[in-house]
Amino acid sequence: MHEGGYNPPALMAAQFCARISRQLALVSALWLGLAAFPAAQQTQGPPQSTADAASAHAQDTHAGPPATSAEYPSLHLAGFGNIDFADQDKAEGARGFSEGQFVLHLVSSLSPQVNVFGELSLTPRADAGTGSPAATGFNAEVERFIIKFDQSDQLKVSFGRYHTPINWWNTAFHHGQWLQTTISRPEMVQFGGKFIPVHFVGALAEGAFPSGGWNLNYQVGVGNGRGNVISRGGDAGDNNATPAWVLNLFSKPDLAFGLQVGGSLYLDKISLVGQPEFRERIVAGHIVWQHEDPELIAEIASVRHEQIVGTLTTSNLAYYVQAAYRLPAFNRLWKPYYRFEHIDIDSTDTVFAGIPNLDGSTLGVRYDISTYAALKTEGRWRQRVSGQASMNGWFFQVSFTF
Amino acid sequence: MAQGPRHRTRSRLTAAALGVLCVLASLTPLTAQGSGVEGDVAVVVNTDVPIDNLTLGDLRRLVLGDKAFWPGSVRVTLLIRAPIAHERDVILKVVCQMTEAQFRQHWIARVFRADSAVAPKIVYSAQSAAELTAQTPGAITFIDASQVSKNMKVVKIDGKLPGENGYLLR
Repeated sequence: MHEGGYNPPALMAAQFCARISRQLALVSALWLGLAAFPAAQQTQGPPQSTADAASAHAQDTHAGPPATSAEYPSLHLAGFGNIDFADQDKAEGARGFSEGQFVLHLVSSLSPQVNVFGELSLTPRADAGTGSPAATGFNAEVERFIIKFDQSDQLKVSFGRYHTPINWWNTAFHHGQWLQTTISRPEMVQFGGKFIPVHFVGALAEGAFPSGGWNLNYQVGVGNGRGNVISRGGDAGDNNATPAWVLNLFSKPDLAFGLQVGGSLYLDKISLVGQPEFRERIVAGHIVWQHEDPELIAEIASVRHEQIVGTLTTSNLAYYVQAAYRLPAFNRLWKPYYRFEHIDIDSTDTVFAGIPNLDGSTLGVRYDISTYAALKTEGRWRQRVSGQASMNGWFFQVSFTF
Repeated sequence: MAQGPRHRTRSRLTAAALGVLCVLASLTPLTAQGSGVEGDVAVVVNTDVPIDNLTLGDLRRLVLGDKAFWPGSVRVTLLIRAPIAHERDVILKVVCQMTEAQFRQHWIARVFRADSAVAPKIVYSAQSAAELTAQTPGAITFIDASQVSKNMKVVKIDGKLPGENGYLLR
């Protein structure tokens, strides 16, 4: 740990960089918007004479009468939900039965190339009915709210509130528990967690490079970064003059269909009340084999905090490895899985104060009771401090989409 | 009344001509209704789509939604047969390497991730697939090769048409 004193030249340099960075962000956002503008002008779409496959969720049961022409806006609604049961020897969360999140997903096409996506969640509160006025039973949250302009496969531009594309899990599964194999998310991407910024408010450009069979993709974003509460994005505005930047590159090679390999970089300035300001740099990588026999997911992220006025620099590391296998017998309905995860927090990091270390294992099995509902059960063993007893628990969940 | 030599010669010529026509018809795939090899699945696109050949990787990206535009920024409209249809089985097994459940989950997840706003559209017959593909700019569908007619634009897959040796979609 290194403490530094007041340093005017460094402060001026930081302010200059912040100004340049803010102007760059503005120019980038304008450029992104202008690039996508012609796409927004096109309003004639192809006739939609058949049922949408997944927007109705069921290509056989939910498909309504065929539409005969495209009408805009066209709103489709889908839902995700889960009911949980937990039995733990030391409670870190709910015990007994609990309602999971009630999630509504909305997608509306405004034209063939302009779409709006929304994700709303209702989460039960442990303090419901207490306080004055009494706390409500559920927290309502706009998890994602995105307007997207699809110019081509090479350029899609969007604005809104995202799940930060710095972590594969964070953007692959969102709040739909049914979509993920396991009950729990890795702790490094826990909702409400602090290790990585789960949400991001800003602008994002994404697309595919012409790269033959390598299928290289990019995502570049600029936004508000972490808010005053570092587990939250800056929904109502940035809390400092320096925007956050995110770059994500990944490949899905044709020769190994199902494989995705990628890495990302996230840069931000963290301003917390009563604390010095820090630069944050996150470097992350992932490798995913998306088939189910087997399914392999491994991610790692290093978070570095560097005090702007001072010399304190800290580094934190987290990773997980998850393997699952869809058993070929029993109509391919059973899928056992295992995950190991590790979080190592620098004890001198004041930004991450309160985040516990972790060495944890999760062993479970998923049973798909129907195409759109799954039963999952898993055991978790978590050790927070080396040498101390681990926390054990057994969990059950029914998750579904509707 | 007895048939003369002239009439017999005309009958033989007619029979020979019919035989030649039959041979020609059998050697010319996909040129008329009912031709082609039953069991092979043809990839049919709207006639305006500026593509004659797709690799299996290209086709996979189209079916799984990773590729949403044709050259010229024409949006892809994916028309796929309802479950149980032979064409759908072949596409899911050979192209996507997925089960029906995996394919559905893939598209639900894709729309949920905001990667695509529109999932594939379901068609309930080869005729309806053909008609909609003809009407819809950027449309692509999959039809049993025996039901392909000459006014449809069939795309080669890895350089091969249905009925040819090494054609993958069967």
